[in-house]
Amino acid sequence: MIALRNAFYSVLALIVHLLSLAGLFLLLQGEFIAAAQIVVYAGAVMVLYVFVAAYVGAAEEPLWEPIPGQRFLAPLLAAALLVELAIAILGTGLSALDSKGPTLPGGFGTPTQVGNLLLEHFLVVFEAASMLLLVAAVGAVTLAARSRSSDEVDRVEEPAA
Amino acid sequence: MTLPLADTTFVEATWILVVKSIVIFAVIFAIVPMLTVLERKLLGRFQARYGPNRVGPFGLLQPLADALKLISKEHYHPRAAIPALYYIAPAIVVFTGVATLAIIPFGNVQEGFGLYGIDVPIGILYFFAFGSIAFYGLLLGGWASGSKYSFLGAMRAAAQLISYEISMGLALLGAIMMAGSLSLVSVVEAQSQVWYVIPQFVGFLIFMVAGFAETNRAPFDLPEADAELVAGYGTEYGGMRYGSYAMAEYIEMFVISAVAVTFFLGGWHGPGPGFLDPIWVIVKIFAFLFLFMWVRATLPRVRYDQLMSLGWKILLPLATLNVLVTAILVTVT
Repeated sequence: MIALRNAFYSVLALIVHLLSLAGLFLLLQGEFIAAAQIVVYAGAVMVLYVFVAAYVGAAEEPLWEPIPGQRFLAPLLAAALLVELAIAILGTGLSALDSKGPTLPGGFGTPTQVGNLLLEHFLVVFEAASMLLLVAAVGAVTLAARSRSSDEVDRVEEPAA
Repeated sequence: MTLPLADTTFVEATWILVVKSIVIFAVIFAIVPMLTVLERKLLGRFQARYGPNRVGPFGLLQPLADALKLISKEHYHPRAAIPALYYIAPAIVVFTGVATLAIIPFGNVQEGFGLYGIDVPIGILYFFAFGSIAFYGLLLGGWASGSKYSFLGAMRAAAQLISYEISMGLALLGAIMMAGSLSLVSVVEAQSQVWYVIPQFVGFLIFMVAGFAETNRAPFDLPEADAELVAGYGTEYGGMRYGSYAMAEYIEMFVISAVAVTFFLGGWHGPGPGFLDPIWVIVKIFAFLFLFMWVRATLPRVRYDQLMSLGWKILLPLATLNVLVTAILVTVT
């Protein structure tokens, strides 16, 4: 079931979702993660999505249902999932509700601690991930450069033909 | 009492924070009209004409007349616009601008409360987080207006903001590494010996150029280039909604100036007793605002491809180099 037929609204909904996620991080004392979440995801990644959705246009896609009766089945299944989750959560007795949660060490979630974790404790993993991103970036540049040069070849060949 | 954003630093009572929020709102909403009249008077001087001089003594009541005019205009939206988004977009820009002001320090902790909204440990990331939300205010405004000029302006604003945000962050990174902290209060405290404008002069220049681009001010006011795009993302706006965009631009100018003062000009440091600290900050901020207006009156608008190549081919490598050199120097010394 798709509530928002317009792709642009769906992208906006995703942005609001990412902002809400940052709010959840804040509640968990992860202020650095929350800020990074907003700057990287809501600020940089979603900008590209918004670009594409805005350029492609507000054409409301006629959506067909791959499964017959999907529109009626989907809310039922969602309701069933809600009931199941409610049973699971209430089954714990919500005993943690009145407590103050785990005691956090001082400076938890601050940039200092995140930096120590990333650059000292998990240095190898961190560097491996950055290598992966570098390879991806170089790959993207190569692909883009190749398609552009093939365009130029086409343009040169045209007058000859 | 623990607050999510403030539990590792100086924590204040909730009512103090509420009072501070109201004070920040009141101060910035009093400063913006002053800036508009200052800008128009200065532009008049720069262009050898009078500027506003009819309303009140020396034309000083001009912003009051402007505000009354804008507020009393008809609420209007084009038929092609999407009303909800069209209405909410100017509010987003104003909100993010004012929210960013919360972290600007106007003085250290004096008599039990800090002369800043809140001293967050993530510091400048807060500024960048709200900056990236502000972008949606421009983009939604342009997109929801349902007009081609607005849309083109919004797209330009978007491309410009993401191009220059990186250089801006890297420019500040040098000062952050020297101070060893993201918190704006600590950065100012670290400048008690020497202001970072001297060791971080390259970073300062990059920050200022990127700041002009971030605030969409001349010579980088391409999103609202009136010769090509009528008024860019604000084309279809009228009344106080247009006024909100204009107001947000002044608030952002103020914020960028305040961040520059905090990171490069020693924040509240200055001669005289402690109670002069906020005065020093304001004086330095207004010096920057004067620079903004001076540049607007002096430089012509750049072309769009010049703007992009300046951002990506000059500022970004320069900022990266600055960060690398600073990192090596900080590690060695």
